[in-house]
Amino acid sequence: MKTKYIFGGVIIVVFLAIMAYLFTQTNISYVNDFSRVMKTNRTVRATGSWVKEKNYVIDKQKNLFTFYIKDAKGKVMKVVYHGTIPNNFESATSMVVTGKYKNGYFEASDILTKCPSKYQGQNKKSSS
Amino acid sequence: MIGNILLTLALISSVFAGVMYYLSYKGYENTLKPARFGFHVSAVAVILASAMLLYAIVTHQYQYEYVYNYSNNDLSLGMLMSTFYAGQQGSFMLWLLMTSIIGVILMNYTAKRGDLEPRVMMSFTLAMFFLLVMVSPFLKSPFIYLWSEPVYISIKSVNPIYLSSPLLQGQIFQNTATGENFVKLTPHLYATLKAAGIAMNDFIIHGKGLNPLLQNFWMQIHPPMLFAGFALSTVPFAFSFAALLKNDYQNWVKQSFPWTLASMMVLGLAIMLGGYWAYGVLGWGGYWGWDPVENSSLVPWLVGVALIHTMLIQKRSQKDGGVGRYAKTNIILGLLVYILVLYSTFLTRSGILGDASVHSFVDPGMTVYLLLLLFILSFLVMGIAALVWRWKYLSEISPGEDSLISRELALFTGAVALLATAIIVLVGTSAPIFAKAVDTSFYNQMNLPIAIIIGLLNGLSLLIRWKHNDNKLVIKNLTMPVLVSLIITGLLALFAGLNNLMLAILTFSSLFALYVNVEITIKILRKKPLHLGAYVAHIGMAVFLLGVVASGGFSVKKTLDLPRGQKVAALGYNFTFVGYKPIENGKKFAFEVEVTKNNSRKTLLPVMYMSDYNNSLMREPDIAEGFLKDVYVSPLGYSDNSTKSKGKEYVLKKGESVVYKGATITFVGFERSKNAIQNMQQGKPFYIGAKIKIKKDGKEYEALPKFQNTGSGGKYAPFTVKKLKLKVNLVKLNAAGSVTISLEELGKANNDGVLPDSLSVEASIKPLISFVWIGVILMVIGFLISIDRRSKEARA
Repeated sequence: MKTKYIFGGVIIVVFLAIMAYLFTQTNISYVNDFSRVMKTNRTVRATGSWVKEKNYVIDKQKNLFTFYIKDAKGKVMKVVYHGTIPNNFESATSMVVTGKYKNGYFEASDILTKCPSKYQGQNKKSSS
Repeated sequence: MIGNILLTLALISSVFAGVMYYLSYKGYENTLKPARFGFHVSAVAVILASAMLLYAIVTHQYQYEYVYNYSNNDLSLGMLMSTFYAGQQGSFMLWLLMTSIIGVILMNYTAKRGDLEPRVMMSFTLAMFFLLVMVSPFLKSPFIYLWSEPVYISIKSVNPIYLSSPLLQGQIFQNTATGENFVKLTPHLYATLKAAGIAMNDFIIHGKGLNPLLQNFWMQIHPPMLFAGFALSTVPFAFSFAALLKNDYQNWVKQSFPWTLASMMVLGLAIMLGGYWAYGVLGWGGYWGWDPVENSSLVPWLVGVALIHTMLIQKRSQKDGGVGRYAKTNIILGLLVYILVLYSTFLTRSGILGDASVHSFVDPGMTVYLLLLLFILSFLVMGIAALVWRWKYLSEISPGEDSLISRELALFTGAVALLATAIIVLVGTSAPIFAKAVDTSFYNQMNLPIAIIIGLLNGLSLLIRWKHNDNKLVIKNLTMPVLVSLIITGLLALFAGLNNLMLAILTFSSLFALYVNVEITIKILRKKPLHLGAYVAHIGMAVFLLGVVASGGFSVKKTLDLPRGQKVAALGYNFTFVGYKPIENGKKFAFEVEVTKNNSRKTLLPVMYMSDYNNSLMREPDIAEGFLKDVYVSPLGYSDNSTKSKGKEYVLKKGESVVYKGATITFVGFERSKNAIQNMQQGKPFYIGAKIKIKKDGKEYEALPKFQNTGSGGKYAPFTVKKLKLKVNLVKLNAAGSVTISLEELGKANNDGVLPDSLSVEASIKPLISFVWIGVILMVIGFLISIDRRSKEARA
């Protein structure tokens, strides 16, 4: 009876330990302040909005997609993504990029575009 | 209005039914019939309200906010059905509808089984009640009128005959950014229109439309299936809770077994239908992305499947008398399935996952958030309280030990492995609550070893018998399957490039499970067809895992640029972009890509279109599905090279240079055709060219873009330097003797120097992905056979 519990207990402890270890290894924290994104060398997830004025560039040969995003404070960051332009990119209200900042740009492994699910009809309006 | 009355009626009668069931459980007489009546009224009212909502959608009753927000006149009947659950209110409505229908069936089922009904239906009615509150007119009913709060309606939605009406004076506004016009609809305007005899569904004649991602066949069956699974998951909770109430753990296993099987079959199928949607429509390139929304419904499924295995042990061990083994475990897991379903709903609906998921969720507001929280907490507290109440007794009835080599222990270990997977997925998915997230590698690395264990147990548990075993016999039975699987794995490693150790082990374990299960299936096929369920489902599982290994570990993909009419070889196939054609009345474009290999030829039609709904370019992949591999072509973009250049423009005077991407570009001077000036005056053909010298990497090239006049009109002809893939466009000849040119880098040009339009795609080859779907179908068939067998047993 006792050996069974010890055996089971050891398995659970090992399982939890491996999970905790992998969790810390793969965990990605949200950093929405780009000046902090640029300092850290960890993989982070950053939210920003696309800088429309600086157009995006698609490099088909190298399969690179480059654009600029800015955070709430207006800090602009260059993002390079190995892949193609995501669906809804142009109409996204904000985007979440996952990756690392290095060599002067943010190398994104994933882009998530957030879209208004409804028309936002209540935007600024002036009487006509 | 009638819709809201129906929902209110349903709410009130669910409270009534709940109270009556409680009183009936407490032993009050003459309460059971009123309880049944209350529940029936509630269910019928829900069904009628759902029919009304569907009718309102199909007949375009835009006076309802929900219909206006999620549909329009362009949608086909099938798509209008999807509108039913496109928004939050409707999806709760669908869940409620499924719960009502299942509730009625469950009532009939339990009514025939002694005093079971009030105990089971009490908690089930509570679940009904919470869902009814969600869609109640006091909170967020789908029958709320559009004008109940001031709202801006696009002018396109308003019947044009009323636009010039004086009633709308001062109610039309313009969005200065987009120039769109809106009518501000207020309760006041509604009253004014009503007074003038204008009906609302005559005034508003168009809706906003449906999210294009939902406009496909899979979205017509995935959500109903999912919510049916959610509704069915209430049943194990109700049975567990009922068992705790009576402190009787003998019969509930047998009675709830077919229900648990059915709920897991439906939920599992729903999850994989969602996976197929992600693969075939969303263009994820795979069926599973560890997206929080997928994960959150996978967790209750894994727990439910673990429950099926431990229930089987309890049922089997009851043959020795007593309540059987793992009674406590079964009660806990039974309660947990529904609590996890609720937790999943909470995660996906509360807006917590906002930054973590592909699915964009609108923040539902504080009331819904709190209500959802209350919903989970109620069921959690109920479950825990009942457990604590009965804990001492439950601990006493748990009998002895399993022998080390017995089917009991193998099944239990399998259940533990499933629960471990559930915990992994749950932890990863819950991370966003703590403002964290995990990389998908977390799930893959953690689950791979567990999948191996599951595969091995899947085979092993069937080779050993219940209770005690003769070790020698077990080893004898093991030899063949182990040998065969090892040989096949070895062959795959040698000849098919199975070079990853962990994946090779998983392949071995899946093959082992496959061999064992197929062998048993063949053996009992004639004799006991009713017992086939488990084996067929396990064959499905093994086939599924093989599909996962092959498609997950050995898919290859490549981004291709396909100029029209040119064969591009990649990944062992030839891809040719043939052309495009408008489909669905010109709303979408299908891009024809011919995929050839040796003598086989297939035409794929990936689709791209601009959606009015979200002003975005939508892309849909197309797949050449095959037994051994899928060829997956996902469109990325289309460039029409014949249109005017969008390259960078430069103004150059004679002799001036500019540096463009490492090339020095000099405007040397003009070159005119013979007698150009004369011909120009006489209206005869002539040209004026700009001589451009390009220096790059020590080599010199020349370009001569021209202004050409055929006599009747002129046009600029660009010049392409093929070796540099550089296109020089002449934009303007300036009077001051300078030229404006634009420079552009190009893809491959064809022989004429004319650039065809091109399609860029991501092509991928996905080996054995068909095994994933075949595995799922086999699992469903296995479940069906088991449900048949277990419901026959439950009748006895």
